[in-house]
Amino acid sequence: MNSRKRTRLKLKKSLPLLLMALPGLAYLVINNYIPMAGIVIAFKKMDYAKGVFGSDWVGFDNFKFLFSTPDAWIMTRNTLLYNLAFIVIGTICALAVALCMNEIKERFFAKYFQGAFLLPNLISMVVVSYIVFAFLNTDTGLLNRTVLPALGVSEINFYSQPQAWPLILLIVYLWKNTGYASVIYLAGIASIDPTLYEAARIDGAGKWDQIRFITLPQLKSIIIILTLLSVGRIMFSDFGLFYQVPMNSGPLYSTTQTIDTYVYRGLMQLGNIGMSSAAGLYQSVVGFVLVLTANYLVKKISPENAMF
Amino acid sequence: MKRTTLTLLSLLVAACLLLIAPAAAQSTEPPVEIHFAFLTFNRVSEALESVESAIDEITVPRINVKVKLHPYSIADYAQQINLALQSGEALDVFHTLGDLPQSVSQNKVMDITDLVDEYAPDAKAVVGDFLKAAMINGRLYGIPTYKGAALAPNLVYRADIMTEIGIDPTTITSFYDLTAVYAKVKETHPEMVPLTPDSAGSLGLIRSLHGIDFLGDDPFRLNNVGALIGDSLTVVNFFESKEFTDTIALTRDWYNAGYILKDAATTTSNCLEQLTGGKAFSCIASYSGQEAYVQISAQTGRDIRMVRLGQPYLTTSAVNALTWSVASTSQHPEAALKFMNLIFSDRDVINLIIYGLEGRDYVKVDADHVRYPDGQDANTVPYTAQLSCGIVGNQFIQYAMEGTNMDDLKLWDYENKNSPRSPAFGFTFDNSGVTNEVSAVQNVINEYLPGLSTGSMDPDVELPNFIAKLKAAGMDKIIADKQAQLDAWVSQQQ
Repeated sequence: MNSRKRTRLKLKKSLPLLLMALPGLAYLVINNYIPMAGIVIAFKKMDYAKGVFGSDWVGFDNFKFLFSTPDAWIMTRNTLLYNLAFIVIGTICALAVALCMNEIKERFFAKYFQGAFLLPNLISMVVVSYIVFAFLNTDTGLLNRTVLPALGVSEINFYSQPQAWPLILLIVYLWKNTGYASVIYLAGIASIDPTLYEAARIDGAGKWDQIRFITLPQLKSIIIILTLLSVGRIMFSDFGLFYQVPMNSGPLYSTTQTIDTYVYRGLMQLGNIGMSSAAGLYQSVVGFVLVLTANYLVKKISPENAMF
Repeated sequence: MKRTTLTLLSLLVAACLLLIAPAAAQSTEPPVEIHFAFLTFNRVSEALESVESAIDEITVPRINVKVKLHPYSIADYAQQINLALQSGEALDVFHTLGDLPQSVSQNKVMDITDLVDEYAPDAKAVVGDFLKAAMINGRLYGIPTYKGAALAPNLVYRADIMTEIGIDPTTITSFYDLTAVYAKVKETHPEMVPLTPDSAGSLGLIRSLHGIDFLGDDPFRLNNVGALIGDSLTVVNFFESKEFTDTIALTRDWYNAGYILKDAATTTSNCLEQLTGGKAFSCIASYSGQEAYVQISAQTGRDIRMVRLGQPYLTTSAVNALTWSVASTSQHPEAALKFMNLIFSDRDVINLIIYGLEGRDYVKVDADHVRYPDGQDANTVPYTAQLSCGIVGNQFIQYAMEGTNMDDLKLWDYENKNSPRSPAFGFTFDNSGVTNEVSAVQNVINEYLPGLSTGSMDPDVELPNFIAKLKAAGMDKIIADKQAQLDAWVSQQQ
């Protein structure tokens, strides 16, 4: 009796909040959950006259093309390694930038650097690919025309040198994404209680000690959540980065082919939506399992930081 | 409101015509409305209703059909068609874009074998033996667009430079003659690139090889490991053929001699841009007729001429890439076919679809030629789909833009009818049994072909790797499947 009353009271209290969440929830259901029914396409041979749900079942046939190629290993390796590098190095760089930016007390410069770091994130990958091209191309590129001759090095055809691309792609990724990620950390830093720093200063802690013992521990949960979110996308790659930036150059496939680009190249002409759905489903399921695993590990180590 | 008055008006006109010619349409049933989708390279017009009612004025009395036009841009076309088919949205007539057998195996298009003679006899008569290209396993799935399908490879070059270096272009008959030309260009104009790609990763040389049927599409757009060479009916791996190895060896020589843009394998700037910029001497591309240079000169602002490097060769895919079909989900296949018949045979209907309303969207110059009204152009008139002239129905009954040489159009038609045809003309390969191999092979081709065909890869080193990777990706299975389907087709023909 009493508990029911309490529940009703709780409900009454949170009713406005629930109502406020309603449009968002409706959006989520309509936009993210209902279309999931389309997953069935991955197991069907699409027949437009019969429609999505009427088409014939083909079991796992649509998934075969992902594994029946000798390139399966290369594209999976590239996808995972690049994403791992992006998560680890990206997080370190974003943290470093956030910490530095936090130290800039002059308002004008703080805003200027924030804007400058954020700007690349707003540029389309297609445009980025031409900026990179302006640096690297053989006939008129800055490196081949100005920098390398000055150093006495003969010209390099970057678009046929696969070994150069892990570094190039990492630099492009960091240039484009560090600013955005650092803004999130900067917001995290701003929410740390300033009295903690005051107390630390009184106790004689230097800048480095303050970062080590206050800022980083306080940011731990944001870092973990952002990392967990990226782990969920580890089988997906930034299509623009891996397709546009290397200019779709064939000789670079050994270091630039990822699952997304492989699927795109293989299916663009086939137009088989069953196979493309299968690829998407496969990536999502692996990502889902990895997130669960990572979250489980976090729970073991520090339960208060786990997502669920 | 306006629409209803217009509809009423057209109905009135229809009624009048009915009175005058009661035999033309005996039924008093309300007209059937069909939905007609096509690709437009012009601005997608918003003034569709006025054009639709003008078409209805012709079609309602004749075939009791009304039409709704759905022009889509290239970026939207395939997706809009797929969406309409999936969602059961009204769609009756559309054209395929590329792979016809794929549309058949995914059941996007209707089998019209038993309907075509009754409802679209004129269209059938117009296209002649092109009809074979839309047949799969003896069934007919559409009517190919009737346009200049016989494409001949041409050297497209700067006439001023050619004169300057003193070479008579009529002495050039194949791309092997170009080595001497390019050497001279390089010598007199070192700042210029003698040969630029016609599209990303392709110099146009492979497309200009005569007598090759890739049994599908060309190798740059669709994986084509199995091809027919000459009159043989044995499917071979094109990339192991002498034709291919000779071509890439020549290309490699040109590349090393500096005749080719270094970034040809990856550049996305096309031939026209390079010619406009003045840094390129030539490119190799295929055109119907011999007058395409007039438009290229106008577009680039340079003095451009063309000389043929070979003769046209007709294969199935040259013809059926654009095939007018009835949607598999159509509720009115008969009405759809009746309307399709008109876009191949009725001058007024097709010109309304392409040029819009006379006086408002275009004015006539003479019996065959039109231009935009004074002070207007393609972007300002309320309706035009002029750039779809080679897409919709029959190109040869359309008006031509002012300045077009009608004799050249006659040559297009002549070459459509008289060009040599592949022994497998009419055969289409259905790749739905080997999709796993196709996607793997496609990736291997993307990896090697642009580099090899533009000379930036050394064929001595990379060709064996290419072949080995093709084999590992399942090439032999595709070739065997192609051969089996071809054999079945050949025995069917007899």
